[in-house]
Amino acid sequence: MTQAIWGPVQQEMSDLLKRHPDDVPGVVDQLTKLQEVLCRVPPLLNSNPLADFNQLYLTITENVLERLYDGKFKDPGFLSRLDVEFAARYFDALRYWTDGSPACPGVWAGLFGRIPGPDARPLPSAVAGVNAHINFDLPFALVTTFDHLGTDPIDGSDQHHDYLQVNDIFNEEIPGLRRGYLDRWQLLIDTMNGELDDWWQGEMVEYTRNVAWRNSQKIWAIRHDMIALDKQRRRLDDTATGLGKLLLSPFADFLQ
Amino acid sequence: MASQGDDGPLVGRTDTLADIQSDLRNVGSGGTAAVFVTGESGVGKSRLLRETADALRETGFAVLSGTCLDIGDASPLHPVLQALRRHGGATNTTATSTAAAGADDAGALLDRVSHDLRAIAGDKPLLLVLDDLQWADRSTRQLLLYLLAGLGDVRISVLAAIRAEALHGTHPLRRVLAELRRLRSVRVVDLAPLNQDQTRELVTAIVGGNVAIEDADRVYKRSGGNPFVAEELARDLRDGQVELSDTLREIFLTRVDELPPNAHQVVHAMAAGVEPVDHAVLARVVKLPEDQLLEAIRVAVAHRFVSSDGDGYRLRHRLVAEVLEQEVLPAESAALHRRYAESLESEPGEPDHARLAHHWQRAGVPSRALPPVVAAARSAEAMYGFAEAHRYWSIALQLVSEDDADRTPLLGNAAESAHQCGEHLLALSRLEELAGRKDAPGQGDLHLRRARYLAAAGRTATAETEYELALESADCTPQLRASAAAFLAELLVQLARYADAHERAREALELAAVQGTTADLVRASAALGFSAAFREDPDAGLAVIRHAVEIAERSGHPDDLGVAYLHLAELLTGPLNSIEEGILVARRGAERLSTLGGGRAHQSRLLAIAANGLFRIGQWTEADAVLEAAMRHRPSGAEAVELLLARCRLLVGYGDLEDAARDLDSAATLLAGGGARHVLPMLTLRAGLAMWLGEHADARAAVQRGLTETRSDDLVLLGVLAWHGLRAEAEAHAAGKPVDQGAIRRLLMVRDRMASGAGNAGPAARAIIDAYLDLCAAELSRIEGRHDPEPWARAAAIWDRRQQPYPAAYARLRHAEASLQRKVRRAAAVTGLRQAYATATAMGARPFAAEIVGIAHRFRVVLADDMPTVPMSLPDQPVDELALLTGREREVLAAVAEGLTNREIGERLFISERTVGVHLGHIFDKLQVRTRVQASRVYLTAA
Repeated sequence: MTQAIWGPVQQEMSDLLKRHPDDVPGVVDQLTKLQEVLCRVPPLLNSNPLADFNQLYLTITENVLERLYDGKFKDPGFLSRLDVEFAARYFDALRYWTDGSPACPGVWAGLFGRIPGPDARPLPSAVAGVNAHINFDLPFALVTTFDHLGTDPIDGSDQHHDYLQVNDIFNEEIPGLRRGYLDRWQLLIDTMNGELDDWWQGEMVEYTRNVAWRNSQKIWAIRHDMIALDKQRRRLDDTATGLGKLLLSPFADFLQ
Repeated sequence: MASQGDDGPLVGRTDTLADIQSDLRNVGSGGTAAVFVTGESGVGKSRLLRETADALRETGFAVLSGTCLDIGDASPLHPVLQALRRHGGATNTTATSTAAAGADDAGALLDRVSHDLRAIAGDKPLLLVLDDLQWADRSTRQLLLYLLAGLGDVRISVLAAIRAEALHGTHPLRRVLAELRRLRSVRVVDLAPLNQDQTRELVTAIVGGNVAIEDADRVYKRSGGNPFVAEELARDLRDGQVELSDTLREIFLTRVDELPPNAHQVVHAMAAGVEPVDHAVLARVVKLPEDQLLEAIRVAVAHRFVSSDGDGYRLRHRLVAEVLEQEVLPAESAALHRRYAESLESEPGEPDHARLAHHWQRAGVPSRALPPVVAAARSAEAMYGFAEAHRYWSIALQLVSEDDADRTPLLGNAAESAHQCGEHLLALSRLEELAGRKDAPGQGDLHLRRARYLAAAGRTATAETEYELALESADCTPQLRASAAAFLAELLVQLARYADAHERAREALELAAVQGTTADLVRASAALGFSAAFREDPDAGLAVIRHAVEIAERSGHPDDLGVAYLHLAELLTGPLNSIEEGILVARRGAERLSTLGGGRAHQSRLLAIAANGLFRIGQWTEADAVLEAAMRHRPSGAEAVELLLARCRLLVGYGDLEDAARDLDSAATLLAGGGARHVLPMLTLRAGLAMWLGEHADARAAVQRGLTETRSDDLVLLGVLAWHGLRAEAEAHAAGKPVDQGAIRRLLMVRDRMASGAGNAGPAARAIIDAYLDLCAAELSRIEGRHDPEPWARAAAIWDRRQQPYPAAYARLRHAEASLQRKVRRAAAVTGLRQAYATATAMGARPFAAEIVGIAHRFRVVLADDMPTVPMSLPDQPVDELALLTGREREVLAAVAEGLTNREIGERLFISERTVGVHLGHIFDKLQVRTRVQASRVYLTAA
């Protein structure tokens, strides 16, 4: 028997993961449903690290969807495919974890493994998820999307422009998320140091997203070579796993 | 991959096996079905494939099996051609390969393979089993989608296995599976490892008798439920090896050590081979006397390393090969590969270039590897496997050093093949290297090629500069200059810079007239024609393109002719809105090409233009006939998608919703391989189909997805989507179902964007945008329950002006409905309703006609003298079906049954072609048929 990794919500989780959303509204819907289920995972309930990440991811994807409806992107076909392919990798990781499969990437396993505790701070937890998703999943999602659309990842292209626009969304959402978690006296400190910290996190996402773009260009060149690709995948997973551990360690409490 | 009869018990897969079989049998209306089994290595995919194949063979399936190779550079269509060869034996081998090599184009190749498959299947259902699909080349993936879309006209079920590990990264199959997953005819089975109980069952079955629970659980823990590993561990347990090995590697290394020397040698040799390894080849590699070799193989089989089937030997599992590969010393491995290569070369007949290249490369002898690599590249090109060819050219480059004279032509080939298979960045970097060589081609040539690659990569600004550099370079020959000027003009038209394009095209035409090829002339003329037409001088533009057609006619080359006709037909049906003439041109072009016997793809595209035009002007019967003819040409790729979408649109109009859904699924299957520009038409059709089925939520979802994928400057596409979206909400409202306020709010935003952007659009686009804006406004009044006839009247007028009877009649229906609801101007409403009804029946738009009848019934309107005002519920089989027809209609039907065209019927009966169409519409409606053939059948049976 597979152990009930998700405790009382095991069945709901595995039913939910049977769905494979194929458009951005579908992804938002899936993340919303996931959030509802994740908040019922004992013992930490609402405050488990994955729920923290999922909430952030949901907010960001809703923002992307709004911009798609508003016609803010130059190549919405590209961005929609990327968003779906990107999310599919998070859902895949959850699926592997739920099945107890060794195929679950290390960087995700690190975060999923912390769901039962010990309690981690919400912000570093959310950032740890962002780390897994951007440093590990994003480059591959980018390559798959470009491959499917039959275009190359080129600096300065419409697609690159749209890709960079998503950085703005991260920058908008992370400070908001941060304030949402703070209690009063922390808010005081935050008001004093807020700018600096916000800047630091904003930079981090922007920095890692640029790394992801560069990595995708690297992977693009070797995508037909399965052995080299596998090596690159392992390398990215290891790097991201290390960073993820750091973010979930007490050391990262200074973030919050 | 294990040999038959050597299998352990199959545990925990009974339900999966039954489901797979039933899915494969259930081919549905499309005539195809597919099951993709994914799972980690050793989880039992191949076993499942084998069991399923055996079961289906017993129930009357013809079964073909192929395995993809992991040498990463197999030849195009390898697994399918291998499956055909295995089935047909030696005689078929040559037949297949010559058939493949002699095809005129990629579509013809797919057609021939389908033909072979049909021949093998006969009247049996066909099962194609493909193992290790993760290693399939691009051509194989495309063939698979082609077959699953039903284009090969083969009733086929496909069962394929894919290693889950391969899908983690960026494997192209990842997206393909994601797209196929939602189709009714495709199932993706994710094969999970065994659970603890199942592992216990497996262990008990292998060990036989009592197994201590702790031992079984230890196996479960070590194997993680992987059946292959669990089986091997259980064997150790049975054989009394109490200490279970920790890894698969240890299990097999211990066993290798136990082998006698000769068998040991055979197993190591196998690890370096490409499976299946032929006995004669193995004999030359291992160099043992025949009897000792046979004995050694027998031992290797007994120790469960090697298995043997009709084609030769294989290692029992890829996992074994992977363990062994790491154990062979590099020098030893090189020597083995050299012997394989020499052995293959000593085989009589044409060697398998791909295999030969593989072995020479790994033998560390690049000079011997180069000729087979180049040969493999050329034969891949002959089979339109540009991606594979490109890989070979790249390998060839790795084999020659910097200062090798061969490098220059290889770079040229590598760049061009990269361009052909869409690897634009690589094409450009190869070209850079080529440009840096001492014996590089001339500057003009290099600039022109760079410009073409850049344009294909969408980097238009730099492409433009490069074209200009090509034109200015000193060594540019007159021919090159003509080409460069024509390409540049074409690019400028694409960028909508019509004034610049016009000037460039004029220059290009002058150059081409003196020194250029027909292709240059046609390209330059098209650029000139379109730029003139867009600059509001349509007559001049038309004249230029007509002239281009004449030039192409003189050259008689199918490609030139196809391109010229396409430009003319597109200009007429597009910006000039002379749809009938455009249709005529398109059909004439297709006919010309078919008499010349070439330009398949162009023929399909011309027929698609004709069919879409006929659909727009309401001549659906003719559109149906054109599409039927087009599908007989067996289109493939983007052309097939276009035709399928056109036919789907027609079927939705006819109310043949099951077949429409089938065509939509076929189009989606092809699009799973890529093709972004057809996604939106597909989503629009999905929404339209869902609306007729009363599935408003599905219609809404399709439209909303479309909105997230449409560029904000594609106002026409947005217009179609916004109308579909608002209509879906209006239909939901009318059906008493909830409307989605969020969706409406977004649709209104889109409408506002269209309204503010329409001013900047060209006149042709502006007219269409306005027409959709009217429809949107009208649907909105319906959603709000205002029953306002005014916007509908405007919409009807504007669609009348655009000569599109279907939307015009739709607007008339709604106009009448609103007027009748408000009880205003009943007489005008009744006339409008009757007019709409006449249009609907003439076209054969049955669900639409039924809706009109429904509304007529509700408001007690008599539609026509001979029509009862009840919803269409004709008796199932009237005694004399022809009794319903008028005298004139009988005459028309008699002529149809003779096989006359509308024009010929018109000439015989002294009526216009269009009147014939109207009569036909009535006939079809009364006889409840949809095609001329069906109508003729009714006539002949009744008469």
